[in-house]
Amino acid sequence: MLCDDCKKKPASIFFKDVSGGQIKEVHLCEDCAKKKGILSEKKLSPLEVLQKLLKNTSHEDENVICPVCFLNLAEFKKVGRFGCANCLNVFEPYIKTMIKEVQNSEKHIGKRAKPGGRRAIEVFRLKEELRRALEKEAYEDAAQIRDKLKTLGVENV
Amino acid sequence: MFDNIKWLISPEFNQECEEKEIVVSTRTRVARNIEGIPFEIKMKNQDAEKLVQVVKSALEMNFKGKYLDLNKMKPLEKESLFESHLISPAIIKKEQPTAVFISEKGNVTVMVNEEDHLRIQGLSCGLNLTNTASAVYEFEEILGQELGYAYNENYGFITSCPTNLGTGLRASVLFHLPGLVYTNEIDKILKSTYSLGMTVRGLYGEGTEIKGNLFQISNQHTLGFKEDELIEKINKFARMLIDLERKARDVIMKRARFELEDKIYRSVAILRSARLINSDEVLNLLSAVRLGIGLGIINFLEINVLNEIMLITRPGNIQLYYGEILEEQERDIRRAEYIRNRLAKIETT
Ligand SMILES: [Zn+2]
Ligand SMILES: [Zn+2]
Repeated sequence: MLCDDCKKKPASIFFKDVSGGQIKEVHLCEDCAKKKGILSEKKLSPLEVLQKLLKNTSHEDENVICPVCFLNLAEFKKVGRFGCANCLNVFEPYIKTMIKEVQNSEKHIGKRAKPGGRRAIEVFRLKEELRRALEKEAYEDAAQIRDKLKTLGVENV
Repeated sequence: MFDNIKWLISPEFNQECEEKEIVVSTRTRVARNIEGIPFEIKMKNQDAEKLVQVVKSALEMNFKGKYLDLNKMKPLEKESLFESHLISPAIIKKEQPTAVFISEKGNVTVMVNEEDHLRIQGLSCGLNLTNTASAVYEFEEILGQELGYAYNENYGFITSCPTNLGTGLRASVLFHLPGLVYTNEIDKILKSTYSLGMTVRGLYGEGTEIKGNLFQISNQHTLGFKEDELIEKINKFARMLIDLERKARDVIMKRARFELEDKIYRSVAILRSARLINSDEVLNLLSAVRLGIGLGIINFLEINVLNEIMLITRPGNIQLYYGEILEEQERDIRRAEYIRNRLAKIETT
């Protein structure tokens, strides 16, 4: 079925218009629905807004670089993404206002991360260490690592 | 046959839930990253492998469920997980190791190595924000102890994209609003959603078309709110929308009852007897039938049956249901057959 309005594109939006006391079945294509204000125009996503804001700001020190992941400010402005958790610290002075604009706030007041506890990460690290010890046939080291793993609740290694 | 996609219909998902004629489903997700592992844009293959492994062991030590290695899955299976809102299109496109965990009850999924290291998502039918959020935070807390999240005193949980900083919490509600569409009120209302800090999307998220009178509404900001404030804000908005939709339905019932009944009964008839049907047409017909149930015009069908048909008739799911790759026209034939069989069991009274 073709769109009632432009009579060119296929209609994808169907509805009964009951405004004005008359009941009328209406078939519109997406474009015409938008023009009539029935469907909203696509809004920019928050990331797109952020990228636009970033593009419009100039910084002399675009070479500022995150020492952990080596992302620099110029790159960050292009992609609008951090390379690691440390990037936030490094770029904060340059992006503070943009964050505020996009998020409408500049301060987290929600749940906080609980300190301590990285058991799974520690287990993973120890397992790697154990593998290397066994490769080198360092059996005493391996036994020690196994004990550590046991204290972390990992039994059969 | 049904075994292929049994993950789609979890018992939890079909529980009793509130407002299910107007709200199809609720999703709540939090984004988290693990301290010491690079984020998406700087991630090497070995980082991704480590991530997938540590998350797997953290999940297996604490939760029951299925951990699926996405890179080992067939494209059709991934498409089906996507159509069922269990994974995002972003994670399908990734070439590095990625995984998804589906909890035993089917109400929580954890995507590993999407845009953030972890995307923990709670799903439910109907309006169920509080429950989905608490299910998510049960996972979030335990995984935090096992893995250690990247966190900043001022900006909260550190996410790959600054637009998710803070709580990393995004809650979305999928509404079915035919009343507001028919009465031409919808645009005015959607405009107000933006000014209230919400975004509107189609059935499958950002940039997707609005079909079947389905609108997905979610919070725009993640920073500067407490988690329960955010949830409450969306809840309030949802209640308001539900109320407006009810009023719009009353208006149509007064002004165009017979036209509406006609459309609803014809939709049932088409679903019961079509021999070829595409997935968008199904959405539109189901929309009319769902409205019929909501108005008490149709009382021989349950909303859960409609939800099931909506899910299984998506292009990927229908193929997985029959266990074969199907060309478009074959899909339309099988889809019609599936719906006829599903509805044949139900008596019209
Ligand atoms: Zn048109
Ligand atoms: Zn960095």
